[in-house]
Amino acid sequence: MNPERQNGIGLEADPETEVEAPPRFPAVTPPLQAGAPTDFDLMLGIQAEDPEALSQLYDRYNGIVKALILRVIHNEAEADDLLQEIFMEIWNQAKNFSPQKGKPLGWMVTLARRRAIDGLRKKQAYARAEERLQAETEQQPDAWIQNTTEDEIALGDTRVHIRRVINSLPPPQQQAIELAFFRGMSQREIAADTNTPLGTVKTRLELGLKKIYDGLKELRDEL
Amino acid sequence: MNFEEFQNRARLYVLGALETDELEEFEQARKELGSQGEAFVSECYALHEAFALSLQPAKSSAALKNRLMSMVRERAQHH
Repeated sequence: MNPERQNGIGLEADPETEVEAPPRFPAVTPPLQAGAPTDFDLMLGIQAEDPEALSQLYDRYNGIVKALILRVIHNEAEADDLLQEIFMEIWNQAKNFSPQKGKPLGWMVTLARRRAIDGLRKKQAYARAEERLQAETEQQPDAWIQNTTEDEIALGDTRVHIRRVINSLPPPQQQAIELAFFRGMSQREIAADTNTPLGTVKTRLELGLKKIYDGLKELRDEL
Repeated sequence: MNFEEFQNRARLYVLGALETDELEEFEQARKELGSQGEAFVSECYALHEAFALSLQPAKSSAALKNRLMSMVRERAQHH
């Protein structure tokens, strides 16, 4: 069962809510240039049906959203289609965004992940994606399980910090979280996919997620 | 379920990784904890944001954005 369908961040309709709440934990989004509208400002603009606000939000986050989609479905053309659909959904559903439930990026990512995983399942593409993922893994190291110092130099500080937190986990914990988040697998599915006892999968997920959660807290304090 | 167990379950919950029996126990604990539980679940969704930000951004064509914005402007005009 997918909790986002019941309790997606900020997805519950609340027309009385004003967009004013500051982000809470963890403030890990990339810093904005001075004078640039905040994500909350842009969401207000979209709620007021200003296309320019969506244009700016797209420019700011289309790369992140597409990377997430690609990570799930491993197909460039399908990722482009989904990217367009997701930003249309952001436009259509913006009135349901509630800042009390979280930040705009979190809401967008939750929405994008759900759509991408749904798309993957609808097309019964697990096997095909598995083959592509396997091929990609052979061609280049996994984005999470690597020590790419040169790449990291080119990345923004926020990404580097988050990657450092994730890369500090033992590989089995990273793998379990990867399968749960990017593939939408349950614990039982992960256990079957990795030929690992269910209890071990549960422990890996719990330990790994706690470490990332705690690491993000520290990151928020540093930034 | 103590609060530490609830926290562990909440982090799995936001990933959609709880099994059915765990989900029922979690929802019950969530009700009992009230606003404290809701606040923690909301915080856990920040994990989604962090996982996305951990990825190298992907590029999209200008044509894609143009198509999207044409659709958006058309809808805005009709409202």
